[in-house]
Amino acid sequence: MIKAWVVLVFALIFTVQARGAEIELSINLAKQTGEYHNPYVAVWIEDDTGKSVRTLVLWREGAKWLKDIRTWWRKVGRRAPELVDSVTSATRPAGDYRLNFSTNDDNGEPLAQGNYTLKFEVVRENGGRAMIKQKFRLNGQAQSYDLQGTLETNPTTFSIKE
Amino acid sequence: MSKLKLFAMLAFTMATSAQAHDRWILPTHFSVSAEDKVWIMADVTASNETFNVDKPMGSDRFTIIKPNGERSRPSSSYRGHRKSVVDIHLTEEGTYKLYLDSNVSYWTSYEISGKEGTQWLRNVSKANRADKLPKGAKNVTTLASQAQVMTFVTLNAPNDNYSLTNNGLELKPITHPSDIAQNEKAQLQLLFNGKPQQGVEVEIIKDGARYRNDLNALKVVSDNNGEISFTLADAGRYLLVAEFKKSLTHDALADEMGGQIFFTFEAVLN
Repeated sequence: MIKAWVVLVFALIFTVQARGAEIELSINLAKQTGEYHNPYVAVWIEDDTGKSVRTLVLWREGAKWLKDIRTWWRKVGRRAPELVDSVTSATRPAGDYRLNFSTNDDNGEPLAQGNYTLKFEVVRENGGRAMIKQKFRLNGQAQSYDLQGTLETNPTTFSIKE
Repeated sequence: MSKLKLFAMLAFTMATSAQAHDRWILPTHFSVSAEDKVWIMADVTASNETFNVDKPMGSDRFTIIKPNGERSRPSSSYRGHRKSVVDIHLTEEGTYKLYLDSNVSYWTSYEISGKEGTQWLRNVSKANRADKLPKGAKNVTTLASQAQVMTFVTLNAPNDNYSLTNNGLELKPITHPSDIAQNEKAQLQLLFNGKPQQGVEVEIIKDGARYRNDLNALKVVSDNNGEISFTLADAGRYLLVAEFKKSLTHDALADEMGGQIFFTFEAVLN
């Protein structure tokens, strides 16, 4: 009987922890000179087998340009039209955008503890492309990563708040 | 150049693989996204300089296998002096196989004193060569040959639309063609008459041959399971050329069967 209680309490604690964890991400799109189109942006999380488990951000224009977000389109978007519809948002101009997300997967279920990679793809029509990758671990502890700048993005941070 | 001349040239070069004349279908897009239908185009050419066009060819044989397996033809085509061009309407989601329909052709080779090197008779098989060969012809061999010039393009989600015929040399993707990517291992299988074929020689040539000194072709040979695998460090467009020749016994029409594959693909950026 006591055993069952202990299991239940632990299960509750872990569930609460997983549900409570939060991702903070800053997307800092660099100012450019000359002709400027708002970049297309996709941010997603892959598990340690390289499978996408969550698309956090999709800033896009018409369907014709989805293919240009090359890696996200190949690995995620082209096989998941409903997901594309549900996460789609308008493109934004250069600037710093601070966003918060739960640590749930695409179905709203908490992500299990383990190793993941954050992928951050930025593509600008008539401009450049950037692909940022950051490994992280969901282990019930807060953590923070500095993401280096690219030609398309200024240095930003990515953190997990428990 | 007339078709006949081109055929003769291809035949000659086929016999000496060191000078093999490449052919390809190069689509404007390998992977497209669209809410509905979308147009793409493709160049068809015979050329030895990947991917600079040289001679038009084959738009009349251009065949499309739609994602549901139906055969279709380009909506329009143009035969220029340096390349043929076709318009293709992608009307449903999935993977399209694009290829040049080709029949087996028979080439009889021989040697004869007074003429240097190997001589060739086009469209002459083992069955009718006795009448066509000059007196005193030596080392007579008839080759049955077939070439597959092919590529795949995908609208939105891919499907495994490889439409194999189990005839001659064929290529069966293990890694889907739209999933060949920079720094990721890709796997393909070579089949001969529907069975995995060991020992098929494969060369993979990157786009832009004109602008580098070393052709730098990646050379691989199929293993026991007919499989090849490779990892490309650079994203870009590539031409895969596979060749294989096998002796035939008890065949009424030829002594050897040869197959060639010219497969165009892209390794996407990672």
